[in-house]
Amino acid sequence: MIDYQYLIDYFEEFPFLVQLVWRISGVLFLAIVLLTIYLKAIRYKLRKKENEHVTFKKEYEALLVEYLYAESEDEQVSTEQQSIILKLKNHLPIKYKRKMIISVLYNLMNEVSGEMAESIKTLYYKTGLIDYALKRLKNKNWYVIAKGIGELRRFKIEEAHGAVIKFIKHPKNEVRKETQLYLVNLFRFEGLSFLDDLETPLSEWAQLQLLEVLQKFDDQQICDIKPWLKSNNNTVVLFALKLAQIYNQFEVKDILIDLLSHKEKEIRICVIEVLTNMYGIEAKEILKTNFNELSIEEQLSFFGLLENLVVPSDEPFIEKHIFHKNFEIQLLALKILKTINIDKFMGLDKLPSNKEVPEMFNLVNNV
Amino acid sequence: MNKHKIVIAEDNSTLSLLLKFRLEKEGYELLMAVDGKEAIELIENGNPDLIITDIMMPFVSGLEVISHVRNKLELEIPIIVFSAAGQEEMVLKAFSLGANDFMGKPFSPNELVIRVKRLLS
Repeated sequence: MIDYQYLIDYFEEFPFLVQLVWRISGVLFLAIVLLTIYLKAIRYKLRKKENEHVTFKKEYEALLVEYLYAESEDEQVSTEQQSIILKLKNHLPIKYKRKMIISVLYNLMNEVSGEMAESIKTLYYKTGLIDYALKRLKNKNWYVIAKGIGELRRFKIEEAHGAVIKFIKHPKNEVRKETQLYLVNLFRFEGLSFLDDLETPLSEWAQLQLLEVLQKFDDQQICDIKPWLKSNNNTVVLFALKLAQIYNQFEVKDILIDLLSHKEKEIRICVIEVLTNMYGIEAKEILKTNFNELSIEEQLSFFGLLENLVVPSDEPFIEKHIFHKNFEIQLLALKILKTINIDKFMGLDKLPSNKEVPEMFNLVNNV
Repeated sequence: MNKHKIVIAEDNSTLSLLLKFRLEKEGYELLMAVDGKEAIELIENGNPDLIITDIMMPFVSGLEVISHVRNKLELEIPIIVFSAAGQEEMVLKAFSLGANDFMGKPFSPNELVIRVKRLLS
């Protein structure tokens, strides 16, 4: 006790600044000790959770494999399978376990085909997991609804169509996107019927996702895309243009030519690109006539089209644009001229006006 | 009679377990690896009769496993490759490295058993 008193007296004799530094050091030391203990506790908790996760995952994986190989020829669901369903059902009320069961089922469903995938789907129904997913659709939070739709899509639950289609006009983009993916994944081209009266924009990302899904199917029999090409929603028109190009919809050529005069520049450029791929000779003639009324981007797209469709009779038109104000158009014009009339192209070297673009001439000459 | 030994390299634990269960039922001895690195160790030490490997795996890919078996260990063990949709180029690479067969995911485990039997007969 005397020793402590001596230390306190000794400490109090220090100047104020030194005392302050000691006090701050003490507080910081205490904070470090407390934080270290807290960190240890968190690490312990996380490790415990991880171990639990591994244990449950192994248990559910084993139950699933057992279920799949416990099929009986006599009964639709064997006694062994019924007991597994019951075991899994008992774990469902706990959200963490339910999520893990769903992930185990989905991980395998994604990798196996045929009867086995169907058995996993049956298990999804029999355990009542479908009811939890449908219950999510009634949640007031949009992200819960989106997740619910995503789950129904992954497990290919066609019966939920009526419950899911209601969200096609949901104010949240994420929910709409999930609904669209659900429809296309499960109902293929028929699922695209939502485009008929889609008022909200279909983002570029959503379009790519839908196209990716469609290309996975063996049956590539596309439905009628004409109504979408005439849609008032510009993003639907752009998506339909992509479909026309990918699925070679030659029968929509007339609509495509009409779209060359669409009020939206982006659509006009896209139409030129589509026509390039579908060899639209008619489009070439129309565009040649209206060339000066087109924007630079459209003119560039048109020259891209000409590269594939050029014929010797286009030579005067090309020659006229060799000295166009736009560098890229000049370059394309020179390249096209070289293709159709190499003598005339070589003769350009002697023209005095060519002194303005000698590098470009040399570049094209060396291509 | 000695059981045929099969090494399976697959990072999806549920699929691994399912294949183990199915192939063990057919009378094979299974050596399981969760990535290419483990698979190489098992191949070097286990002297298997067949290798089944996924292409995309952590640490060491299925292609590296095939290359190791064919070029470094100089073994002629049959190799079956799993590939997901859109990995056609990888499958071609796998064949050029020396794979004997491939199965695109999703696949039927029964079909895999048929292919295993054919390669081991």
